[in-house]
Amino acid sequence: MAKVKIATDWLAGCAGCHMSLLDIDERIVKLLESVEFTSSPITDLKHPPEEGVTVGILEGAISNTRNIEAAKRLRERCQILIAVGDCATFGGIVAMRNLVGTDQALKRAYLDAESVCNGVIPDSPELGKPLDTVTGVDKIVKVDLFIPGCPPRPGAFFYALTELLAGRTPVVIPDELFTYD
Amino acid sequence: MADVNITINGQPVGVPAGTTVLKAARQAGIYIPTLCDHPALIPVGACRMCVVEIRGQRNLQTACTFPVSEGMEIQTESPRVVSARKLVLDMLFSERNHFCMYCEASGDCELQSLGYRYGVDHWVYPTYTKPFPLDATHKHILMEHNRCILCWRCMRACSDLVANHTLGLRERGADTMIHADANLRWGESSCISCGTCLQVCPTGAIFERRCAFMGRDAQSEHIKSTCSQCSVGCGIEIVTRGGNVLRIRGDWEGAVNGGLLCKLGRFDPLQDDRRRITRPLLRRKGRLEPVSWKEAIQAAAKRIGGTAGAEIGVLASSHSTNEALYLLDNLFRRQLQVTNAGLLNRVAMKHIGRQEGSLSDIGGADIILVAGADPVNDQPVSSFLVKRAVDRGARLIVISDEDNGLAPFAYMNIGTAEIDKAIEIAGRAERPVVIYGPWIDGNMADALKKLRNSASFIALEPGVNTRAAAAIGLNNGFDPSGVKFLYILLGEQKWADESILGKIGKKTFIVVQAAFESSLTERADLVLPAAIWSEREGSLTNTEGRIQKVARAVDPVGEAKPDWEIISLLADKLGRKLGSSFDEVSSSAARAINERRNRHGKG
Repeated sequence: MAKVKIATDWLAGCAGCHMSLLDIDERIVKLLESVEFTSSPITDLKHPPEEGVTVGILEGAISNTRNIEAAKRLRERCQILIAVGDCATFGGIVAMRNLVGTDQALKRAYLDAESVCNGVIPDSPELGKPLDTVTGVDKIVKVDLFIPGCPPRPGAFFYALTELLAGRTPVVIPDELFTYD
Repeated sequence: MADVNITINGQPVGVPAGTTVLKAARQAGIYIPTLCDHPALIPVGACRMCVVEIRGQRNLQTACTFPVSEGMEIQTESPRVVSARKLVLDMLFSERNHFCMYCEASGDCELQSLGYRYGVDHWVYPTYTKPFPLDATHKHILMEHNRCILCWRCMRACSDLVANHTLGLRERGADTMIHADANLRWGESSCISCGTCLQVCPTGAIFERRCAFMGRDAQSEHIKSTCSQCSVGCGIEIVTRGGNVLRIRGDWEGAVNGGLLCKLGRFDPLQDDRRRITRPLLRRKGRLEPVSWKEAIQAAAKRIGGTAGAEIGVLASSHSTNEALYLLDNLFRRQLQVTNAGLLNRVAMKHIGRQEGSLSDIGGADIILVAGADPVNDQPVSSFLVKRAVDRGARLIVISDEDNGLAPFAYMNIGTAEIDKAIEIAGRAERPVVIYGPWIDGNMADALKKLRNSASFIALEPGVNTRAAAAIGLNNGFDPSGVKFLYILLGEQKWADESILGKIGKKTFIVVQAAFESSLTERADLVLPAAIWSEREGSLTNTEGRIQKVARAVDPVGEAKPDWEIISLLADKLGRKLGSSFDEVSSSAARAINERRNRHGKG
């Protein structure tokens, strides 16, 4: 049987969810007998293959226009999309920005911060344009499974992937793996 | 009341008529989730989490407010109920800021645990981005409006339990805000810092400044004890982590307070910035030097051995445990024939009632007389009970020539000369209660005695364990003249009796058993480091005569020892056997205190 293809990507996040994914430790060896990790921010191949994958995993919130592009791209190229971590499911730490407003947050970070001299707010065309409101991934694309947690427990990744491999659709991950922080 | 037979999830349950569905379910061991409900508060049905399906009722009903009736069939987890609860949760999470990962209450939050229970793994509705202010103006309590779910628990605690009515609501719908007084900053409001609100808050909206982010309930230990700040004797829970006291909470099962605490009991003990004494100190060549316990006790014993009983003076603080007071009395008054022994705070009062009342009588009173006492400042939790009774319609008469904290709540404020007026009114009442304190004089006592047959008399003792000290016999006057050896059991009490030192000869050898440095310990010749309220085991006698345990929640700092243990060491050194174990001392002390109480009760 061909291996199930998985692609991951991160949006406005801290990489912590990917670290937690790696923290499933030696179980990943077993997992790799059945799955193939195609693209991810921590492998050479960064973009999900055009021919598509079965499972897409997204970390991070929707914070700028690039995040929207990346989320839509993975959604188009995968059959099952999993939002992982509090940022992807709720907005998380990134959404704290909503409480002060994007302009204020940029000003504070790039102009007013105590460590800044001659500060400028970055506006290179290569960068995404910050959005007014930070949201979870599901406000932009359809999400099939949510795994909250900051970061999600490694076991939650393992549970979700093994359930999918067994042909079952995890609706909500079990209590002991379900956490908001 | 007659039993009503109902079924909950098909299980037959029999409960008294008038019971709410929620209470009936709890009695049957069936869980119904709640947020606004709290066992100590009157249910209001604000949050809608506890909705249940009742056969024959068109709509879902809130279990916390709905009374049972014969034959009722209730479903607590039907699909309709579960979907309604999920809707409620989704709506609650959509308002304000409920990101757990940077919330103080994460791990202890009731909203969070329901999110887990009902699998809220994303937010259905757009998130709310309007920020609310954080009110950090209060010295002890932070109000983070962004975490508030408007369950009104804080407001109800402030009104129903403490009767202070500081917290209230303004605006309507999603704009509703909890506020202090007429939207004042909390720190500038009429708040009396009892902290009951932070004890009932289900989320991270109201939390304690001092211990914020220092440990969740599950990571900390909860040790039941008794507050040792006044004579009411409230049950407390000392919450510790890693050998440090994080916070003090009222014990909901506390016999006297039922969960309530005041500023004196909840916050002040943890704000004490006096310097602790951590080692025994002995004066040598004019200077206090650290010595071992063995040397210290030896020095004290040697001095006592060389001094006649008539030249020894003893002063005790009412902050001491029953055990320490009992041992002190036994060692000095009985064994060493010392007669010059007194209390450091105002001496205990003469009881005037025939039958002693208890603080719980206040709730049922129709007339309350307060004479010679200022409970708002001295025994605050007892004043909550009075204010609560006033809210329910009891008439309060404050008899005082001074300012009194209860005066604003009184139906009548009169001077002590007009006491007969109050007696006349109380004489016509059905359930009068007289609350009296140490400032009543002979005339007032005589006047109040006229109510002996009808009223419940509640004495509010000054100090902390004054009642035990008096019962044991440490309530005689103290005469500083001619004292050559003075033993002061100061404990953690603030040293405020400067005048005594002036009256004592320069050559008097002073031994002080104290927890904190003060001008007294500077003058002393021997300082014995004492453990404080959180570091000692023992018992205290409250103003009603109730003997309650205090527990050691953390180890004493440095080489400090519990008050009773120090006196035991000294007695052993002097070759006086006062009891072989703590338990024996404790039960002897309780017996001595109760004997006196019984004698008093008959008088």
